[in-house]
Amino acid sequence: MSRTAGEMNKRKMHSYYDYSLLFLTLFLVCFGLVMIYSTSSYNAQRVYGNATYYLERQALLGGAGILIMLFVSKIDYRIYITNLPIIKIKPVTFLYFLCIGLQIYVLLFGEVINGAKRWISLGPLGSFQPSELTKIAVILFTSYIVQLAPRRLDKFVGFLRVVFFIAPLLGLIVIENFSTALVVGVIMVAICFVASKKKGYFVISAILLVAAGALFIILEPYRSERIMVWRNVETHPKGYQILQGLYAIASGGVFGKGLGESMQKLGFIPESHNDMIFSVICEELGLFGAFALILLFILLIWRVFIIAINAPDLYGGLIATGVLAHIAVQVLINIAVVTNTIPSTGIPLPFISYGGSSVMVILFEMGIVLSISNQIKAER
Amino acid sequence: MARNRTYNRRNIFIVVNVIILAAIFLTIRLGYLMILKSEDYAAQAKALHERERAIKAERGKIFDRNGIEIATNKPVCTISVIRSQITDPEKVIQVLSDLLGLSEERVRKRVEKVSSIERIKSNVDKEIADKIREYDLDGVMVDEDYKRYYPYDSLASKVIGFTGGDNQGIIGLEVKYDEFLKGIDGTILTLTTAHGKEIENAAEDRIEPQAGNDLYLSLDVNIQKYAEQAALKVMEAKNANNVKLIVMNPQNGEIYAMVNVPEFNLNDPYTLIDEIAAQYEGEALSSEKEMELLNGMWRNACLSDTYEPGSAFKIVTATAALEEGVVSLTDSFFCPGYKKVEDRIIRCHKAGGHGSQNFVDGIKNSCNPVFMEIGARVGVDNMYKYFEQLGLFRKTGIDLPGEANSIMHKKENIKAVELATMSFGQSFQITPLQLLTAASAIVNGGNLVTPHFGIEVKAPDGRKIKTLDYNISSSGISKETSETMKQLLEAVVSDGTGKRAYLPGFRIGGKTATSEKLPRRTGRYISSFIGFAPADDPQVIAIVLIDEPQGIYYGGTIAAPVIAEVFDNILPYLGVEARYSEEEIEKFQIGSFEMPDFIGKTRSEVKELLKIYDFGELYSIGEGDVVIEQFPLPGEMVELKSDLILYFN
Repeated sequence: MSRTAGEMNKRKMHSYYDYSLLFLTLFLVCFGLVMIYSTSSYNAQRVYGNATYYLERQALLGGAGILIMLFVSKIDYRIYITNLPIIKIKPVTFLYFLCIGLQIYVLLFGEVINGAKRWISLGPLGSFQPSELTKIAVILFTSYIVQLAPRRLDKFVGFLRVVFFIAPLLGLIVIENFSTALVVGVIMVAICFVASKKKGYFVISAILLVAAGALFIILEPYRSERIMVWRNVETHPKGYQILQGLYAIASGGVFGKGLGESMQKLGFIPESHNDMIFSVICEELGLFGAFALILLFILLIWRVFIIAINAPDLYGGLIATGVLAHIAVQVLINIAVVTNTIPSTGIPLPFISYGGSSVMVILFEMGIVLSISNQIKAER
Repeated sequence: MARNRTYNRRNIFIVVNVIILAAIFLTIRLGYLMILKSEDYAAQAKALHERERAIKAERGKIFDRNGIEIATNKPVCTISVIRSQITDPEKVIQVLSDLLGLSEERVRKRVEKVSSIERIKSNVDKEIADKIREYDLDGVMVDEDYKRYYPYDSLASKVIGFTGGDNQGIIGLEVKYDEFLKGIDGTILTLTTAHGKEIENAAEDRIEPQAGNDLYLSLDVNIQKYAEQAALKVMEAKNANNVKLIVMNPQNGEIYAMVNVPEFNLNDPYTLIDEIAAQYEGEALSSEKEMELLNGMWRNACLSDTYEPGSAFKIVTATAALEEGVVSLTDSFFCPGYKKVEDRIIRCHKAGGHGSQNFVDGIKNSCNPVFMEIGARVGVDNMYKYFEQLGLFRKTGIDLPGEANSIMHKKENIKAVELATMSFGQSFQITPLQLLTAASAIVNGGNLVTPHFGIEVKAPDGRKIKTLDYNISSSGISKETSETMKQLLEAVVSDGTGKRAYLPGFRIGGKTATSEKLPRRTGRYISSFIGFAPADDPQVIAIVLIDEPQGIYYGGTIAAPVIAEVFDNILPYLGVEARYSEEEIEKFQIGSFEMPDFIGKTRSEVKELLKIYDFGELYSIGEGDVVIEQFPLPGEMVELKSDLILYFN
């Protein structure tokens, strides 16, 4: 089914482009802007005296992200693992080291927002979260290493080799941002899982991962506290934010209060345009709206899945898998957190939550996926 | 480059399936939250969004027996600021400090205080509040409210009482009937953001306040005014500490007036009256001391303070003796100016003694030895039986807070000396109201009434809510004794120590008293008089107590005229008509004649006419010789000894 690059180039006329995925992406970004305006206008008016403050910034970055996506989608994804002409280095390797550099920089000189050192200040442009960029690096780099010798993944040692390469990035993130590290870890494992023929050691490593996670939680007092909050959300003093989210979700009912009618966004849920945005979507649009949104994400994932299985080579398939895992894990963890299904951890809802780095990175990834789709030989 | 193999595709499919399963699980979780938990959480969320704001209920009004408002409400406003809504704090501070007369610093502190809502000033006059409204400042709230207002300022202040900041009664009838008067506060439920800002146009649940019920009293504003004037006059004339005066209907216990001068201003109850403030001139009062003085100022001494009733109590002793049949009106006594009881000599108020006299003379003269004698005849057991029957061991049950009870000897401790002193009203203490109630029972045919103010409670729309009933019980005093006592007490006024309470045309009964305050021999007295009219069918009974008068302190001399003055004013007002006896008409030249026509007459003609008619003072105005105008007008019926005014050209 898959063709070599040469063959593909000859048949460019018939190349495929996944417009449904493009449409789904654009729809989610626009829906995200509507919800950001709905959730943030009260706080923006209160703090900045400008109801569209957050909307404007997000629209700007989202628009830029879309342009980047369209540009990236026209670049052959295989260029990332080809040596660049002058500096003789593969872009993916460059990205790998750039991320390690930025991660070290942020740990030393990062800007502290809400008590966490995760941002690099870009002056008037706002701030940039290198851990978001690392997600792209991990997807591309893991896929690169794996596709170099896919049969090695059949053994545990092969998996450990991948982990060895990714460990510096993961380790640098986990210091300040457990939830992003979790997402990055899942992306890595998902890629390895797809590449491997044997599955036994994944069970072992899953157990190891759980053990490591548990150790992590016990060692960090603020994480074990989160477990307490999760179990006693209605009574625990620190359960306030999650409880407010639950109030919002529950008061939405089946059909919701209507767009813009949320009460909980009026200061009850702090920064409701961020990670808790899904709870306001539930309050305003009800169970139907929330279900429709989940369905849209499933559709998006399905399109990425179709691209992944039809990718012209393993590298493209693995990248698509990484993007798929990235979106899926963020959506699932975000919804699980706001519904208090798992202990709270700060993961934005892809495409929807406010955050420039997040939406740009996601759109960049969608660009790569679209570029993979563009390399599929059209059957029609 | 490696190929995308079948097992790779299968693996991706597994991943996608896991994702879809997880998504289904989360959708179910969402369904659980949004359908099953919806009501529960939504209610909790609503409780969080709703703020309750109370709307004060209008307090019920208090009316006198003629339906005149004596306690009402004035619309006032409360000014508050909502910090988060203020757009121009400097202007807000300037306008509020200007209009409310507060210092800029004080207003600034309130405006800049971090709180959702801050009260700047309450009880602001409506006109000022309207001016503030006109500025239409963001974040400034003007809430309408009511303030208790007493149109007569100090009238019956210690009876009516006043209310506090939460519209609750503090003293007097305002406390006693608080339950009826206060009404039920309403509430406004509004939706607010987490920062306490109300959301405009959000559906408001409003529970209307229910105004309090109105209270109708037996108190009569006019009688109270007359009584206060008379009391004030004697207090000033005799430089007394205070004067207490109660006017009551002896038949049913309805109180027409209760005076405790000096009164205080109900509209400004926390300011010490001049009489008290003058004593502490230049002194810095501690807040405890000030509170103590205020409490003293608010105290209703008519029912909270006890005193030795003195000779007025002889009414009770005489009643007991007559009822027991141990004395008849013709029994004769001899007063040498003292009586020896056991080893003690107890003096009569008349140094030389009253000599030989019968019982009627004894009571007219208020002779102590006579009463010691009959007290001894009655004996301790019977004396206490009548005390009990006349309610002297218990509170009268008046509908005012703070009533005191009597202070009596223990029965087993009463020996001959104690009995003798008790017979003329010494060595025990009762409240003026207790004496008035006991005397009422004696003169009304034996019924012990409950003195009271409250008559009925009506809803603001006039619907009757409750008629207040009071207990009237039999004191066991017979009608005959009652009749005899009325005659005896009338004799005291017409021809005894109480003759200065005599009022031509009216039959008045009464008894004087001069009680020496404890400790004795310090020259401090309470002069009092208890009187009722008409003596044959008492419609009104009154008691006056003058505390520490300077100079002459005899009750008969200074207290009796006070009651005469009050009765003179209120008896015609109460519909008791003057009926003069032949003797009185002659003695007081009572009668009337038709006014002759002086107009056009010369000075010499006028002189002739004046010889025929019996005028009082003549005032002639003008230098001319001919009358051009006269007053009273010709043809009018005027009383004998009326003044005449003539205008000459």
